[in-house]
Amino acid sequence: MTSGLRRAASTVVLVVVSFLITALILRVSGYSVGDVLSGIIQGAITATGASTSSIRWAIPLLLIALGVVIGFRAGFFNIGGQGQFYMGACSALAISLGWREGPAGLVILCGTLAAMLAGVLWSLFPGWLRVRFGTDEVLTTLMMSFIGALVLQYLTAGPMRNPQGTGQTAASERIPEAFRLTGGSGVSLTVLLLVAGVTVLVWLVLERTRFGLTMTLVGRNATMARWQGINVRRVGLGAFALSGALAGLAGAVELYGPAARLVTGFSPEVGFTAVVVALVGLLNVWGTVVAAIFFGGLQAAILFLPIVTDLPPPALVLLHGMVAFLVTIKFRAVRRRRAAQAEAQAG
Amino acid sequence: MEQILATTLRSAAPLVLVAMAGVFAFRAGIFHLGLEGLMIAGAFATVAVGDTTGSVELGVLAAIGVCLLLSALYWWVIGPLGANVIIAGLGLTSIGLGGTAYALGAIFDVRGSLFTDVVLPRPVTGSTSGAGVIISEHSIFVWITPVIVLAAWVVLRRSRFGLRLAAVGEYPFAARSAGVNPSMVRLQALLIGGALCALGGAELSVGALRNFTENMTNGRGFIAFVAVIFGAWHPIGAAFAGLFFGFADAIGIQSQINITERVPREFVLMIPFVLTIFAVWLGGLWRRRSLEAEAGYAELREPDF
Amino acid sequence: MTAPSGPAPAGAPAVRCRSLGVSFGAVRALHGVSLELAPGRIHALVGQNGAGKTTLAKVLGGLQVPDTGDVHIAGKEIPPGDVSAAKAAGLAMVHQHFSLPPSFTVAEALELTAARPGGRAVYRRGDLQQRWRDDVAEIGGTAALSTRIRDLPVEARQSLEIVRALATEASVLLLDEPTALLTPVATDALFERLRHLRDSGVTVLVVLHKLREVAAVADTVSVLRDGELVLGPAEMSEVSQGRLSDAIVGPADHADDEVGVRAIAHDQETLLELAGVSSGESAFEPGLSGVDLRVEAGEIVGVAGVEGNGQRSLVSVIAGLSPLSEGSIHIDGDEMTAAAPARRRMRGLRLVPFDRNTEGVSQSAPLWLNQSALRLIGREGLETLYPPRRGWVHSVHSPGSSDRGPRQMARLLNDWWQRRSPLISLRQYKWQATQAMDRWRVRYDNVTQPAESLSGGNIQRLILSRELDSGLEALVAAQPTRGLDFAATEFVRRSLRGLRDAGAGVLLISSDLDELFELSDRLLVMYGGQIVARFDGPYDRRAVGDAMTGAVR
Repeated sequence: MTSGLRRAASTVVLVVVSFLITALILRVSGYSVGDVLSGIIQGAITATGASTSSIRWAIPLLLIALGVVIGFRAGFFNIGGQGQFYMGACSALAISLGWREGPAGLVILCGTLAAMLAGVLWSLFPGWLRVRFGTDEVLTTLMMSFIGALVLQYLTAGPMRNPQGTGQTAASERIPEAFRLTGGSGVSLTVLLLVAGVTVLVWLVLERTRFGLTMTLVGRNATMARWQGINVRRVGLGAFALSGALAGLAGAVELYGPAARLVTGFSPEVGFTAVVVALVGLLNVWGTVVAAIFFGGLQAAILFLPIVTDLPPPALVLLHGMVAFLVTIKFRAVRRRRAAQAEAQAG
Repeated sequence: MEQILATTLRSAAPLVLVAMAGVFAFRAGIFHLGLEGLMIAGAFATVAVGDTTGSVELGVLAAIGVCLLLSALYWWVIGPLGANVIIAGLGLTSIGLGGTAYALGAIFDVRGSLFTDVVLPRPVTGSTSGAGVIISEHSIFVWITPVIVLAAWVVLRRSRFGLRLAAVGEYPFAARSAGVNPSMVRLQALLIGGALCALGGAELSVGALRNFTENMTNGRGFIAFVAVIFGAWHPIGAAFAGLFFGFADAIGIQSQINITERVPREFVLMIPFVLTIFAVWLGGLWRRRSLEAEAGYAELREPDF
Repeated sequence: MTAPSGPAPAGAPAVRCRSLGVSFGAVRALHGVSLELAPGRIHALVGQNGAGKTTLAKVLGGLQVPDTGDVHIAGKEIPPGDVSAAKAAGLAMVHQHFSLPPSFTVAEALELTAARPGGRAVYRRGDLQQRWRDDVAEIGGTAALSTRIRDLPVEARQSLEIVRALATEASVLLLDEPTALLTPVATDALFERLRHLRDSGVTVLVVLHKLREVAAVADTVSVLRDGELVLGPAEMSEVSQGRLSDAIVGPADHADDEVGVRAIAHDQETLLELAGVSSGESAFEPGLSGVDLRVEAGEIVGVAGVEGNGQRSLVSVIAGLSPLSEGSIHIDGDEMTAAAPARRRMRGLRLVPFDRNTEGVSQSAPLWLNQSALRLIGREGLETLYPPRRGWVHSVHSPGSSDRGPRQMARLLNDWWQRRSPLISLRQYKWQATQAMDRWRVRYDNVTQPAESLSGGNIQRLILSRELDSGLEALVAAQPTRGLDFAATEFVRRSLRGLRDAGAGVLLISSDLDELFELSDRLLVMYGGQIVARFDGPYDRRAVGDAMTGAVR
């Protein structure tokens, strides 16, 4: 417990340091940190609709990050959440546009299931390569992510392009209003309940089922798990599948919620940010919830900022990068203890 | 055909340069996912400083300086501070992509592209037909890339420094008992890699083109990384893998011009990524076999740094 | 000649260290160790595992920075943790673990590690071979120079380590447990070589852990216990075997109580049977060829052999972790040739793996999860062996009374829920883990602490508490006492005997002949993936040793 607290404290310190460094960069390049900060607070909390907007951005982050947490639990880096998210959204869109006359509830259900299935397929392929051939999943999930982005680009520019569209970026047709779970704000009771239910479910699976414990064992030490008779491959595939299903689900929620149509390259950073969210959340379900709300607030704020300052939006990417760069740093005491253990084992 | 070969060389040069950086990192035992970030930082610094001063040499020097600094920071974070190599590497990539796009807006007040007049010298120009096209209009960096590959081979495979580097990556205990400080050797490998990434970035922005564009590396850093795996961590192998990916890229660019009607552009753009997965799969097979052979040593390997 | 005491004479001791102290966190690896070694002799350093021998060797070699104290080699003070300075002063070190990178060629490895002056920064392959040709004469000459380290046999690697160490003019040679992986014959050869070096004026400090070897080679002996120097350096001729043993082991440890193991109602029954089993070779070990083996109820079958002769293949084939190409495996009478590992476990196969830190436990996982690992593999399988226990029935406060009426109903309902529910009770898992670990006297503070916080002996107890459960039929114990201290070793041996007496079948794989002779009812010898000899007690050390080296085929 105390070690958990220490980890939480060190993570908070590192996140604060990342913010300070980024603030310094902003300061040096001529922006007023005070203005930006008050803009962030307005955009994330106090301005009208700001907190709703924060939740709206937190939802996809949370769902994808939970997938990342599951992957990490079983010892895998699924950093391809972006592509799984896109494929989920595309599948849900295809079902919804293809069956416009269908009963709303059924279409949404089918669309959501299709989205999760697409996410599963998109993550299971690298997962299968990993457990079957030992192919490194960091790169393959990343590549699948790039491919997913191109598939989205192809669909929105080609087969699913809105013929009446006039905008510069390619976009699909809108789904019928009846299929939407929320208004443009992206938050409604249905969606909140759904996300809360999924979060609790993920927690139960991870902490209160045999499968969850098995994943933990495999993730900590797959060799030992094999010696204990655990089917490591099956557990790994299960973890990849769950992870992808959550990212796919995030895509469906995005479509049926705030988006209503898909635009080429929408939410381009959400996959990577979700990895940061999971890490800042200490790879723990409730920690991830907190981190997702925090980073959702930042995302909402960065969209609000142009109203009060002329800060270029990529500053947020820089900030996320800074957090990722620093957040896994281990403080001296931890490192010394680990070194001592390694030493004690060797000698 | 000549045009495709010429484009291949132009596309491959930055890939190969960055792949050499990857080879150095890999041999030292670092799974370096920050190559993309270093590359774009190099591309930006070249254009930013080159355009401001009007001197491409100063631009390249600035790019090298920036990349050395970032590499040293990366080493400090993953080495003495014990951060996760993969996450910090991805963070470095994000810092590069986000930081350059931010700086573009904050310093030059433009979004999208920054155009410049400075350009790397091009030793051979003027041919418009026949075989001359293949070697014409390439920047000096395309010409020195093979030299750098050879130099990397000598350093890695035929020098005492290369032996130390390989020992650090493969079996740090051996290095330490030979009186080598693994952390320092890793720093050296990362610094060499940083400089190479800067060259790769410069070639991308002012070698083949004359501008810097947000996210202009577009995954090239990762593709270079895969060239390392495809090339079995060997400089020559990685160079050929980079050349191959450059060829795939060239076909993509050509087909954009010619056959867009029949094959959607996006599918052509996917080729490197699909090939990459294939390459990682093959590379993984190879690596796993060699790891298995060393399983007797596996338990003796030190955890990370 | 005795080790000089007081101020060093003009002919300074070859090695002198004063009040060395090293701590790893709370663990005190060395404490106030002062030692002077006279030149031109073979000094042995002995002690139990964890006594600090390797740490002391590392400090002397400059690989470990001491917290306190200083080191002098041949009269020169060595800055703490400076490998190069130690080398320059004439100290050469041969490590317990091989220190040569496996993918390097012999020439490259020597160039990297031997630090002989005159090498060029950039070289050609030919130059390198030229430079090291004379040094490798005895391990195969020039031809060996382009061989990769990983392709060399163990003995050649060991020789190469010494070649490497002596490539520069060394006046002190330090060897850390050089005999651990050697056959008796190779050990004798090594000792002959050490004597030769001594006669040519080199001071040798060798870390050993077998008293027989100490007696065979050492001129003086020093003993470390719990990080302190408790004896020596003393002349071998002046120290009795008994005094040496006492110094190593220390005041008598509290003997553990006997661990109760349930009786299994088997008479003459074959619990584990391998018939004509062959398997493909793994990269670092020969495969099995035509292994026949039976373990009956109530016996311990020992497997002797030099490491790397197929023992790992044998265990992983039995566990179902690697496939076999021919033959069949029966566990408790059921054909299990192609069964998944989980099914074998459910049928009663239990394993104590070779490497407890990587294969036996998950270092970073909490104790209770490590202890419960076997209960995760099958929904129907192990649960039938372990009737699921409800927290409220088995909590410490409520003794299992014969419930009736509503409580019975509630219990049945709870039973049903436990069986059907996908959710598990962590409390129940932790409670059961606590019970088992307490029964096996694992020393721990908290059931949620990570396994890495336990000592080696306690980790082995944890593994035994998991594997030696009520479902056990046949146990495969691979090197169960390796690296354990005296008390823990005795405990494990007693447990195995208890298990045998209770009617289980035990296959014991060990490289410690004394252990095998003491425990085994029958003894098999593996060589090159085959069983080359079978012995019944009383055993003839000579004959077994011959079989181990392949002298009888």
